[in-house]
Amino acid sequence: MAEQVSSLLRRSVEHLEDEVPDSYRRVLDELGPLVVELNVDSERFSLRGGRRLEVSDGAADTAGARITTSRAAILDVLDARVGLGQAVEAGTVGVHGSVNDVLRAHDALIAYVHAAVRAPSQPGLLAALRTGAP
Amino acid sequence: MSAVLAHSDFLRAPVLATARPEGFKEWHHFVVHGRGCRLLVNFSLASEASRSGEIRLAPRVIVIAHDQRWAGAIERFHDSQLDVSADLGDLTIGANRMIVGPDGYRVAIDLPGHDIRGDLHFAPVSRPFVVNNQPVGDGRMCWLFVPRLRADGWLRIGGQEHRLESDVAYHDHNWGHFRWGDDFGWTWGTILPTEPEDPWSLVFLRMTDRRRLHCLSQALYVWHHDEPAAIFRHAAVQVRSSGVLGRAADCTLPSPMRLLLDGEVPDVPERIEITATRAGDTVHAEFRPQSYARLAQPSEVRLDRSVVLCETSGTARVSGSINGAGIDIDGTGVFELLHG
Repeated sequence: MAEQVSSLLRRSVEHLEDEVPDSYRRVLDELGPLVVELNVDSERFSLRGGRRLEVSDGAADTAGARITTSRAAILDVLDARVGLGQAVEAGTVGVHGSVNDVLRAHDALIAYVHAAVRAPSQPGLLAALRTGAP
Repeated sequence: MSAVLAHSDFLRAPVLATARPEGFKEWHHFVVHGRGCRLLVNFSLASEASRSGEIRLAPRVIVIAHDQRWAGAIERFHDSQLDVSADLGDLTIGANRMIVGPDGYRVAIDLPGHDIRGDLHFAPVSRPFVVNNQPVGDGRMCWLFVPRLRADGWLRIGGQEHRLESDVAYHDHNWGHFRWGDDFGWTWGTILPTEPEDPWSLVFLRMTDRRRLHCLSQALYVWHHDEPAAIFRHAAVQVRSSGVLGRAADCTLPSPMRLLLDGEVPDVPERIEITATRAGDTVHAEFRPQSYARLAQPSEVRLDRSVVLCETSGTARVSGSINGAGIDIDGTGVFELLHG
């Protein structure tokens, strides 16, 4: 059975904290107090910052930004078959929240990608994400 | 000649990265100007620091091919999958291997996750040349190049098999200490004639600052058969880039970097003209880019920046004369444009 996306994200941010601590702190700075709820193929979980990045299972009552997508859509963007903006326009990535919160979530995502491309553990996690793709 | 090569083109990392690990980088780079296709293969090692301060060499293999479009892969391997032979002439990264031997280079490619496999042999047909201590930002880089090799073998990529039979190729080997994202940029080109019997081979390098406002050094290397015929340096070389290529990159690798490299406006010119004159010799080379792949590196200077190398293929036209011998070439060029 494929590993849940929430578990992969949890492992990902733990590795970032260990492998690229300066980049990890940039993600925390960009995310600030925002809570982002994700729904990936109906698996709900949330990401919040503070002192550390934390991934929590289930819906988040205090989420400022809510993202609905699928494992396949995430891979389409990561494999550059589709741009992030195109995915949002096509509805394969749904984003809900105030403009400020959506922009903050976007900036945190970019900081997360900058961190992930510097961390040696992340290609393995990306491979694990693929194993659960349809 | 190959024996000379085998004695000079050995891996530097085991000595230099051990003596001074910070910022060390080394790569072996092959470009095949094949009939109807371009292939680029690169084996690289780069030192990286862990949180504990331990520095290890991160090995990577890059394989991209251009048929109608550039496509391929960059794969990073764990340092436990790196092996260098005691004689420094045999580099293994995962199931990929490059051997420098008395008859040239044997390169075996096996990237099953990307459906890329190949077995290539490069036999040098021109004398190698070494350039030492080239400034790159605050660092220094050395490079050895072979302007022309004969490539044989096969490469399977993107479901297509490319067969090479005495195709022409270029090789360089680079090593030094510097940081990606430091204040430098480069334009690095190989031009080879379409007709393999044509004896001329050209290599061009221009080092600049990151914004490309200051040229730090530049040279046009012209080989005739296996020997250097002329080397034009610094003020003997004039370079003019014009226009903007009217197409986006065929691909960005590694593909997640596409999230960080927004926009479709290319940083590739429509035309690069190189004019070199010295002591009665003159060469005019014109490279017209047709398409390109973006190879992206995280900046080592800024955590929120990336460095992009545009691997650009196109047509080349060269004319002139050296030592009274006329040059009149229609060929192909592959230029690497690093804009920091």
